[in-house]
Amino acid sequence: MSYNTYDNQSGFAPAGPTRGDRWREWVDRHSGTFFIAPAVTLILIFAIFPTVYSMIFALSRVRFTGDGLKFRYVGLRNFAKQFFGSDQVHFLGRTEPISIFGTIVFIAIVVAVLWWLFRSYKKTTWVGMIGRTISAAMAIFLSWLLTASLLSGNSIGTLYTTLFYVLVGCFLQFIIGTGLAFLCSQPIRGKNFFRVIFFIPLMVTPLGVGYAMKMVADITKGPFEPILALMGLTNWVWSADAWSARFVMMICDSWQWIPFIFICMLAALENVPRDHVEAAQVDGASSVHIFREVTWPQVVPVAVTVLLIRAIEAFKIMDLPNIMTGGGPGSSTESMTLHSVYVWRANDMGTSAAIAYLLLILTVVVCASFFNYVVLGQLRKAKA
Amino acid sequence: MTDGGSRASVKFDAVQKSFGDVKVLEEFDLEVEPGEFLVLLGASGSGKTTALRILSGLETPSAGRVYIGDRDVTEILPKYRDISMVFQSYALYPHKTVAENIGFPLKVRKLDKAAIDSAIIESAKQVQLENLLERYPRELSGGQRQRVALARAIIRRPSVFLMDEPLSNLDAKLRGHMRAELKHMQGTLGITTIYVTHDQIEAMTLAHRVAVLEKGILQQLATPAEIYNNPANLFVAQFIGSPAMNVIHGSLENDQFLTQGTKVKTKVKGQVAKAIAGVRPEDCSVTSPSEGTLNGKIYTTELIGDHTLVTVAWGSDQIVVKAHKDFDGKQGDGVGVVLPPENLFIFDQTNGERIR
Amino acid sequence: MSDASFKFEKQNRTIMQRLFEPPSVGKMAPVAKVVAYTFLAIWSLFVLFPIYWVIITSFKDAAAVNQGPYFIPFIDFQPNLDAWRAQFNLDPFCDFSSIARQLYLLVHNSFVFVVSPIVSLQPMEPQICKIYLAFTNSIVISIASTLFCVAVGSMAAYALARIQYKPKFGNIMIFVLLIIAVIVVTTYAGVPWWASSTVALALFFFMARAFGRHFKMSLKNGDILFWIISQRILPPIVVVIPIYVMFQAVGMLDTHLALILLYAVANLPIVVWLMHDFFANLPIELEESAQLDGATRFGIFWDIVMPLTRPGLAATTLLILVLNWNEYLFAVFLATVKVQTMPIMVAAKNAGEKGVFWWEMCAIIVVMIIPVIIMAVLLTRFISRGVLLGAVKG
Repeated sequence: MSYNTYDNQSGFAPAGPTRGDRWREWVDRHSGTFFIAPAVTLILIFAIFPTVYSMIFALSRVRFTGDGLKFRYVGLRNFAKQFFGSDQVHFLGRTEPISIFGTIVFIAIVVAVLWWLFRSYKKTTWVGMIGRTISAAMAIFLSWLLTASLLSGNSIGTLYTTLFYVLVGCFLQFIIGTGLAFLCSQPIRGKNFFRVIFFIPLMVTPLGVGYAMKMVADITKGPFEPILALMGLTNWVWSADAWSARFVMMICDSWQWIPFIFICMLAALENVPRDHVEAAQVDGASSVHIFREVTWPQVVPVAVTVLLIRAIEAFKIMDLPNIMTGGGPGSSTESMTLHSVYVWRANDMGTSAAIAYLLLILTVVVCASFFNYVVLGQLRKAKA
Repeated sequence: MTDGGSRASVKFDAVQKSFGDVKVLEEFDLEVEPGEFLVLLGASGSGKTTALRILSGLETPSAGRVYIGDRDVTEILPKYRDISMVFQSYALYPHKTVAENIGFPLKVRKLDKAAIDSAIIESAKQVQLENLLERYPRELSGGQRQRVALARAIIRRPSVFLMDEPLSNLDAKLRGHMRAELKHMQGTLGITTIYVTHDQIEAMTLAHRVAVLEKGILQQLATPAEIYNNPANLFVAQFIGSPAMNVIHGSLENDQFLTQGTKVKTKVKGQVAKAIAGVRPEDCSVTSPSEGTLNGKIYTTELIGDHTLVTVAWGSDQIVVKAHKDFDGKQGDGVGVVLPPENLFIFDQTNGERIR
Repeated sequence: MSDASFKFEKQNRTIMQRLFEPPSVGKMAPVAKVVAYTFLAIWSLFVLFPIYWVIITSFKDAAAVNQGPYFIPFIDFQPNLDAWRAQFNLDPFCDFSSIARQLYLLVHNSFVFVVSPIVSLQPMEPQICKIYLAFTNSIVISIASTLFCVAVGSMAAYALARIQYKPKFGNIMIFVLLIIAVIVVTTYAGVPWWASSTVALALFFFMARAFGRHFKMSLKNGDILFWIISQRILPPIVVVIPIYVMFQAVGMLDTHLALILLYAVANLPIVVWLMHDFFANLPIELEESAQLDGATRFGIFWDIVMPLTRPGLAATTLLILVLNWNEYLFAVFLATVKVQTMPIMVAAKNAGEKGVFWWEMCAIIVVMIIPVIIMAVLLTRFISRGVLLGAVKG
């Protein structure tokens, strides 16, 4: 048979770009730019630019006038106010008097942190050392605040309220979420049913969750009224006490976010190779043993990443306390975002931006530390 | 009948490639005649795939020039090089039918639908796929997928074919069959073909000429027969042939090869303290004890079918001999091995060079 | 344990063994089973109860809400449709089927609104009703911004997985300094923003041309990827005020476009993060083969890569859609009058002068939740197949 059917095949493979293709060719040669430019431009305009702009707000006294905003440079006064001035109790909490117990704990933590810093001095590069110094400074500051306020019996401010939501919330949600995921990864019936049911709260609008929880937690008209009455707690009001209010916040927040941990951990657990588990089963290991020795080590990288994501989102908490308590009683359930929003509503844009910036610094330092010292290590271990 | 317009020569001119500190190709020179079937043979990491990818334009060389025909293509985009490539994994698009896969090269060149369709049928016929055009790759067997990849490569009538271990994902039986088909197709189309493989049988059977690569250096470029009968160095000698060439350690003094107190006559002369004698299993023969050039004990015997492989222990070396299928020696029996001097290759152990 | 007892263990198990050991591999021990199902049941109750409470509240009237908790419709209290009537302008004699009809109309009319620029369909029984407007706004904004975000994000993710970028560190520093200069000049010296940014942009290109060659340090793809993903850390409260001022300056406050852009940027890190993993794991031969055959980079992306990542693309799109549908903070700051979205509609019910109309709010929340639950079911399918797991592994 003939292979010479198309004698015009020189047209199939031009020796170079023809004139009609010039434009397409030019686009193709610069495709690298075209692919990434939209994303980078959007981020520059709507994330980087506003972040820098926000700094100008934070360094200024901003007034509304007839023709727009007027900025007056005030230096770091908006920030200083949070730490030393009029807003100190609101932001940091009461830090005096510091108790003996608090002092001892503080000194112990400082020694531990400095020891860690000293030990890592030889191991890292100078860039790593700068990062570690920042982490250590943040750790010392936070532990001073913790010991001076909470551990000395004083009230805490929005900074520690936020951290409470993040740290205690993440811990609780992670334990329960992973536990549920473990249960659902066992050979049980109706797995898919539970999977969908447990996932739904994550999808409900946080605002809706806030209002639903406000109704459910209502102590006179809510569903728990009969139970409280039975226990003789008719006069108990959770929203009147700072800690009970915070814990109710956290339960409601957990209702929404445990599903996130649950669904990620379940996927991770189910992706552990079956033959590893089966080998352990043949060896006669109990299911608790299998979980600890075989399954858990393989899901740790996912676990720490999920925790990181959860923590990043947890720092942004605002809807729940805003709706359920309006930040009260006093300002005891106010997160930093909410604090910033309330200050903004009082038309103090400069201070509002300063608080937002402090939240940004706190989030970045805490999350970056966790990422560098925990997540990266686990990921490297998983890859090795 | 061959297609005169589609032939092109290929030339590598002192091509170098390194990834970071790792040198993958060193001063690689190679000229391929128009219409030639050239096989690049080497173990993994020898740089053979890198050479192919440089020719295809998927990698750029660190130094040196690449020519297709008279054209310097070193800096030219892959699509203007007029080549087509068959990948080891076939690289079929799983979401496209066989017809769409085959027609893809023409579709991206914006040919009209009718021309593409007739070309698809034409090249599908050449690989006997005309009944499977509406299927998806996942519904095909390994051999059929291989054919689709071939059809997609030939539909454009490139001036050079590149094949990167195209048969290595097939089972042994199918591989033999596809090998014959490939050779036939290349023979009829007459398109210059550069074929990368680690399988010496593919290299021997398919190639007009074989280029053996090791550690980024071209070891030998010759016809299959020449490579087999006249290996340039120890590496080529050991790489080609199955079972591999026997290696006996010793020294060369004048025209005598000394190994463990035994002298073996050779055709070459020289003084080499550390030498290696190589001999192919089919060139040796077994005789009764003390009658052979070397006398050892049988280590094991393997009946292959038409012959028996006898492994004889000789000091720390082992000598494999291709014997008659009725050979009935037992493990541990004393036996003699005859090494004919004209089939004995002597190599310098320090650099592996052949002593001629 | 002796050999004999080991051999007969199966037949003569003690009661404790029977209770605590699984009868066979792949099954659970009886006690473990009881514990597991108890926990699962309790948790199901915990999860479902608030949703149940919202749904029944939407069928209560003022009395049924205010006079203490009633739990079960038809037994505790008589359900009625006051809340739904108020939201959907229903006539007073309607029944449940007309609610279904109204919900259908809601979706249909919203669809008509969405496609109206392209296809001219007639809305059924057009009603000027707040919830229609909010629902439509929510749909338009979340779908448009999701598509935009996924398109832009996957392009960037693909590029970062396949094309080598080497932006010069020095150029980036110049750019950041110029941004700061623009902002300082605009806020304190009163230079119009468009003038300063044009000058800065021109300056940047000039300086990058002039000095770019001399900078040695450059970033790699991994750094760019990390930079994009890390934008998710940024608390929205940091940027929302400047963005408010920005949109005010260009007259885009309270427009669909403003929210679409903002939502897209807010979720861009997630898309890039998830999609990068899919793209990086595709066999590269497919793209190389297409490249040899003469396809352009964009052709490869559209014709080969996108179809291959369809499950990941679908899952990512669903996730972003849900996030956009629920977004509240940006909406409440930037769009309150003309482009009210559903969450704002919900929040507005809280600000009534005659107290909170819980039943009406619940009706709106139910309308908001229904599409989300459908998406949740679809998403769990993807997640349980491990579709989104790759990115989490890092």
